[in-house]
Amino acid sequence: MNQLGKRFKCQACGTEVLCTKAGEGSAVCCNQEMELQQPRPLPSSD
Amino acid sequence: MNTTDFLSISSAICPDRDAMVFEGERWTYSQASERVNKLAHALGELGLKKGDRVAMLQVNCPECVESYYAAAKLGAIFAPLNFRAKVDELSYMIANAEARMLFVGKRYVDMARAMLPSLSCVEQCISIGSKEADMLFYGDLVSSSSADEVSSEIGDEDITILMYTAGTTGRPKGVPLRHDGFVSYILENVDPASPEIEERNLLTVPLYHVAGIQGMLAATYGGRTLILMRQFEVKEWLETVQKERATRAMLVPTMLKTIIDYRDFAKYDLSSLQVITYGAASMPFEVISKAMKVMPWARFINAFGQTETASTITILGPEDHIIEGTEEEKEKKLKRLAQSIGRPLPDVEVKIVDEEGKEVPGFEVGEIVAKGSRIMTGYWHDEDRTAQAFTSDGWLITGDRGWIDDEGYIFLAGRGDDMIIRGGENISPEELEDVLHSHPKVEEAAVIGVPDPEWGQQPRAIVVLKEGETASAEEVMEHCRSKLAGFKRPRSVAFVDSLPRNSVGKVLRKTLREQYGQP
Repeated sequence: MNQLGKRFKCQACGTEVLCTKAGEGSAVCCNQEMELQQPRPLPSSD
Repeated sequence: MNTTDFLSISSAICPDRDAMVFEGERWTYSQASERVNKLAHALGELGLKKGDRVAMLQVNCPECVESYYAAAKLGAIFAPLNFRAKVDELSYMIANAEARMLFVGKRYVDMARAMLPSLSCVEQCISIGSKEADMLFYGDLVSSSSADEVSSEIGDEDITILMYTAGTTGRPKGVPLRHDGFVSYILENVDPASPEIEERNLLTVPLYHVAGIQGMLAATYGGRTLILMRQFEVKEWLETVQKERATRAMLVPTMLKTIIDYRDFAKYDLSSLQVITYGAASMPFEVISKAMKVMPWARFINAFGQTETASTITILGPEDHIIEGTEEEKEKKLKRLAQSIGRPLPDVEVKIVDEEGKEVPGFEVGEIVAKGSRIMTGYWHDEDRTAQAFTSDGWLITGDRGWIDDEGYIFLAGRGDDMIIRGGENISPEELEDVLHSHPKVEEAAVIGVPDPEWGQQPRAIVVLKEGETASAEEVMEHCRSKLAGFKRPRSVAFVDSLPRNSVGKVLRKTLREQYGQP
């Protein structure tokens, strides 16, 4: 899976990370895989 | 995190995508990042260091964007100047900022030369677009330095921009804006660069305006292509949208009206435009209604904010621009479209208060105040006006009055002060009055805003002449034109025998607006 430019969120502590270099691994926080965030439904105002 | 990370992130995610397009030239994210590093090295070698101020006097162009990021990478503070201002006004802002460096566009070189002898703070002047014998040349700085990554200690709460805005009284106010102010907005509202999503933002709002800076920073973090226009010109705007397939644009109401009223509007293919944001002044209902009708494919957003809030604090979103549902729902939506600035964004609190700072019940008019991590903490070197800008418990007084409905939508109910807003530019009545008072034939004068279908408001001077003197309206307007930025000059003059005053001698602007405030 290409993770470049994807945001991930920890469901336990709320930490968010952004992938700026793709790799084989997966993002883990608080001993669990972080959840892939979907693009925001509302476009930004700029 | 600070704003320079936006450029690093997008350069990593989409290095080969166009970061900027300007008059036929293109720079990818990788190239832009390299040029920024080179400029930062050059500025560092010239002695620029953390906390120093760098002023910019130039219309929108790639060099403005690069200069911002280069200064920010060194921890310096970028002060973009209103390029429509006159020498006196510019000198005041540069001296107030105590700028060590001044970037000057080709068309402003002579103005800079006129100012520099009286500006002891400016150590280096850097010309953009033309080599000048008495200035450093931007092109040389960028071509001769290292492209290695520049790193310096930048705190989240450090100031990154010093932006000048008109107040209702006196000279422009410097608003220091922090890295975390912009970062808070961007991370909360903008999706980061994605290899799959390509957006192209046509930026015509000037970079000395907070909406321009917000658009620039959002574009960088979003991996968007920033299509820069020197200044707004309707035909060029239409051609650029069509040619570059712009997907989003920010416009002030006057610009949007000019676009949709343009005689050849229908001849252009604007179907790429997905998002049109408007703000900076009240949008006439007829204008937004027509715009929605002639561009049904676009999603419209009303963004409300001000320099002191690091731009947008409330939005009336695209769903609020779709007038559908029962008759009752349609009526509610039409009312919102006509008067509402929408609801607060998640990273800011907004409420309506009375004169004592106490929150008023829904539907009751009061002062709109705001609080949050990105609100400014005070004006630059101005304790008095800082104290006046906040309630006793730390809420920023926006200067706008309004009320809130049962679903959290905020409606505007006029300014709480005397500020005139013409085409998105704030005009201080007092600054104009100072200039009017310097006219040898003027005894006293006051300035009010009068409604204008194209510009929102126009300044009108109410003038009392000295005994025995005569003067024409043109003479008075020309006097102001020669001393102030052109957009500030009064567009009409009313001559009166005396100004209405209260018991302590204060001019009653409300009475003047009632008597002379009609177009």
